[in-house]
Amino acid sequence: MNTEGPLLETLTRRLAECPADFLAEPRLGRAGAVHVAAVVADLIRDLGGEPLTQQQVAAFQSSNARLDRNRLRLVLVTCWLLRDSWFTNRQQFSKRALNFLVDGLTESAKLTPAPNFVNDPDRREELSRLCLSALGLRPAGETLAQAQDRLSTLDTAERQRVMTAARAAEERAREIRRKMAEEAAREAEMKTMRE
Amino acid sequence: MLPTDRFPLITERGHRLLRRLEEHLHAPRFTHRGYNRLTAEGLRRARAFAEELKITPPTWRHGEVPDWLAGFVERCFREVPIYRRLGPPGALSAVEGFFDLPTTDRSDLNREPWAFLPDSQSLDGLIVYNTSGTTGHPLDILTHPDTLGLYVPLLQAALATHNITLEGGPERVAVALVCFQKRTYTYATVSALLDQGGFVKVNLSPDEWRDPGDRARFLNDLQPEIYTGDPISFAELAKLPLAAQPKALVSTAMTLTPAWRESLEARFGCPVIDLYSMNEAGPIAVGSDFRNLENFGSLSGYTLLQPRLYVEILNEDGSACAPGERGEVTLSGGFNPFLPLLRYRTGDFATLEFRGGLGRHLGRHAGLPLLVGLEGRSPVVFRARDGQPVNNVDVSIALRALPISQFNLHQFADGSLRLGLRGTAGQHEARRALLDLFGPEQLLTIAALESDDKVVQYTADLPKEAIEQNGK
Repeated sequence: MNTEGPLLETLTRRLAECPADFLAEPRLGRAGAVHVAAVVADLIRDLGGEPLTQQQVAAFQSSNARLDRNRLRLVLVTCWLLRDSWFTNRQQFSKRALNFLVDGLTESAKLTPAPNFVNDPDRREELSRLCLSALGLRPAGETLAQAQDRLSTLDTAERQRVMTAARAAEERAREIRRKMAEEAAREAEMKTMRE
Repeated sequence: MLPTDRFPLITERGHRLLRRLEEHLHAPRFTHRGYNRLTAEGLRRARAFAEELKITPPTWRHGEVPDWLAGFVERCFREVPIYRRLGPPGALSAVEGFFDLPTTDRSDLNREPWAFLPDSQSLDGLIVYNTSGTTGHPLDILTHPDTLGLYVPLLQAALATHNITLEGGPERVAVALVCFQKRTYTYATVSALLDQGGFVKVNLSPDEWRDPGDRARFLNDLQPEIYTGDPISFAELAKLPLAAQPKALVSTAMTLTPAWRESLEARFGCPVIDLYSMNEAGPIAVGSDFRNLENFGSLSGYTLLQPRLYVEILNEDGSACAPGERGEVTLSGGFNPFLPLLRYRTGDFATLEFRGGLGRHLGRHAGLPLLVGLEGRSPVVFRARDGQPVNNVDVSIALRALPISQFNLHQFADGSLRLGLRGTAGQHEARRALLDLFGPEQLLTIAALESDDKVVQYTADLPKEAIEQNGK
């Protein structure tokens, strides 16, 4: 984050304008529309990188929708972001970008549905800052401390939101399980076999 | 004093019929008191649903989705935990996005039935229906008396496709559900949906009656409009000296072979109708008699019943089968607000045909989707050590309470059994339950189920005694 990158607003605006194609369903097995590895390969080439190895391609292929669907969707959104001319013009970010796409999105994908990084202003800012950080950059006009602080604040707030939602969901699940147990007990009583 | 605690909508005439059924001289030893907690709102909804069934047949073309589905999917992703976790659908059109959504199956429902409830769904009046699960996944189905009330118009719609009217009425029994099992719950009820008509569930196993002859006496006195059951229970029913001719026999839950259907039709002098139904979705489709129309070779066609149930046929990898290509029946929608289904794999296999010509012939909309060659769950009759038949349903019941997520029971030609279990829990209890059922000398080995594939729950190498023969 020692190097100044583009203005944050150019990245958040780009995310807000993410085309539908990058929000389409990733290819998982034989279902889904978008071959994510191909999109990544095109991006890395445009950033000045080499063709992907088989091992690198494998990181973007899966048939397990439950495990990988949201991560691969987030990879697609991030590809759109990194395709910005500020990055492609410099021809120096391909390695870091690829590492970020392979390893840097798993945690975010576990917490947040990919479309939120397009639809929600805070998440747009968070993904933009995460990308810059992964490429060793900070938003233009910010100090290193400001950039780190803001990224950490966004991350903490999102974790709080996710935890609150998870608590509410668990509370509801508990309430349903309690009702199910009550009903099962009542039913057992009603179905007591007549001797 | 009306029993409104058990029957909120019962009338004096309904009560008279209920007493007659419960106190009948030849009645079986009912295992428990029936109840029907349908509410006035549920009655109104069921009547509206009955009208909808008449005027809104389910129609779409291959690769299209019906209009209501986009809103349904959107609500699922907004309100239903198990779908919300997947993240919202893609930004493509509802059609394309829909076909790329991940599928769900019984293992999801088995693991966390509560995750299928929409956030806004009230829990008042919740009913939990436990089922042994014919594919080996025991399930807790969450439902409601008013939801169960919708089965009646669906049954009437199924009968209507064969020009049969289920009338009901306060002086008569509309439906007798016959089982033939070692043990099952039996009861008598009346229903406002059948104009205070009666419904009895009886077990034809002679042990459940004061006198085996009472089975025919009771049913002859009741003269139910229709019988519902499965091929095994109808085999037993066929042995009884029944005087009255029912309007129809409705067979569910197991494969009904054409030969056995014809044999039953000759025996009872009425149509025998196969209803494709499952606990998760209720009645889905009804076997149609195409014998005098365009036929599908030796296969039967099933007409879909529910206006808001979308049916796909999928390959193992989740891709769509072409029309006429065989694959797994997969459901979206349904009428149970506690269980909205989204691309739910049923474990049953069929092809989907779009028969415009046939649709017109049946007075239905062109583009009528029909399930063809439905491969349901075949009935299996095992043999106990003493040679007595053991119905697969009895095995399901014996193992129902055990912590087994999935199993397969196979009987070899020498009579020995092999139980395949998913996981290691419940082995000891399963052994005890099966030896109780088959006899203490029964040879039984227990092995682990290896793959994650769907298992065929019951298989046997025994010389095939066709179910048809059981009725003779």
